[in-house]
Amino acid sequence: MYSFNFRRASNIEDAQQIHQSSSDAVYVAGGMTLIPSLKLRLANPDDVVDLSQIEGLSAISSNDGVVSVGAMARHCEVAATSDIPALASLASRIGDAQVRNRGTIGGSLANNDPSADYPAAVLGLGATIHTNARAIAGDDFFVDLFETALEDGEIITRVDFPIPKRAAYAKFANQASKYAVVGVMVAETDAGVRVGVTGAAACAFRLTSFEEALSANMSASALDGIDVDSSDFNSDLHASAAYRGSLVTVMAKQAVEQLAA
Amino acid sequence: MEERGEFVIPAHPQEVWDALQKPDVLKECIDGCEEMTLTEEGMFACVVAIKVGPVKARFTGTVKIEDPNPPHSYFLDVSARGGAAGFGSGRAEVTLTEVAEGTRLNYEVQGTIGGKLAQIGTRLIQSFSRKMTRTFFDRFSRRWVG
Repeated sequence: MYSFNFRRASNIEDAQQIHQSSSDAVYVAGGMTLIPSLKLRLANPDDVVDLSQIEGLSAISSNDGVVSVGAMARHCEVAATSDIPALASLASRIGDAQVRNRGTIGGSLANNDPSADYPAAVLGLGATIHTNARAIAGDDFFVDLFETALEDGEIITRVDFPIPKRAAYAKFANQASKYAVVGVMVAETDAGVRVGVTGAAACAFRLTSFEEALSANMSASALDGIDVDSSDFNSDLHASAAYRGSLVTVMAKQAVEQLAA
Repeated sequence: MEERGEFVIPAHPQEVWDALQKPDVLKECIDGCEEMTLTEEGMFACVVAIKVGPVKARFTGTVKIEDPNPPHSYFLDVSARGGAAGFGSGRAEVTLTEVAEGTRLNYEVQGTIGGKLAQIGTRLIQSFSRKMTRTFFDRFSRRWVG
């Protein structure tokens, strides 16, 4: 690890001010990606700004059909909620117990790892991401590999998930890391059927061909014969692009079957 | 690592060829490129700051143009070192073909990377190299469209 200044922010304005006045600062939420990167000397920031002592960032509440999850809520805390069982189930399957006890929803979304689970929930459930400056529709949030709609220094404060009529998340997990090789959230919402896919491409995306088919017929067989274009999918030692393409259909079908169960 | 692809650029092959030899054009189009200098005919030295999620590393490297056949094809030999992060080298074949919309550029890359980045980042390398390539040709094509 290279040396850096550890700066503990007491509120959001404070955090932003430290970030702005530093030539090279990073925020740390749970640190589940940042800390290993620092330890491997793969990043060398001047200032690490800790968000964990800012009050009011980790509350989870449910009002008027919306579950509001504070950005600093840990995965284990989301896993313990009951209003959206598919979201709780997704959170309970992230990483291992240590990661779930430290990792946060805001950190995961701001990082936008292509294999992270939460992006599938944000897209599949039609969530809205609130920051210190504005509200960003989930559909507009994920831009590219590790790239989001967040401006430099912008901080996620909470994520609002509308409670779906029903939803389910199926993932094919890497056996060592539990990262999603492919994960699919299927949800029947007030705004129609939504399908969010993570792990397959540079960042999570909605699969509209599946959404249309499932709107007409919410059954696994409705997805038979729909071609998933895997030409831009990720290919690595864990799975080829074509294999990921096939997994998208298999995981979507599993999720649909869980909905019916 | 192997990667191939094609992009259509709205300009004549000779214009594309000329632009691809200019250090300032390359610097402008490569995401994170801090320096690009022509050290001798067909040979560039460069510094590129790479950012992938939490990872930030500065690579210094050389790019050498081999077997140029203007304005049709050439090979690029690239090697780069990024200190603690690792190192990489590769060879790319670039061909330019005149088409109705301008020029079709095809590329085929074979490369290897080593060091820490290679150990922990295998699942990200291909997505990252595609993103870099996409960004490059987006910026490069923009030279000819408003």
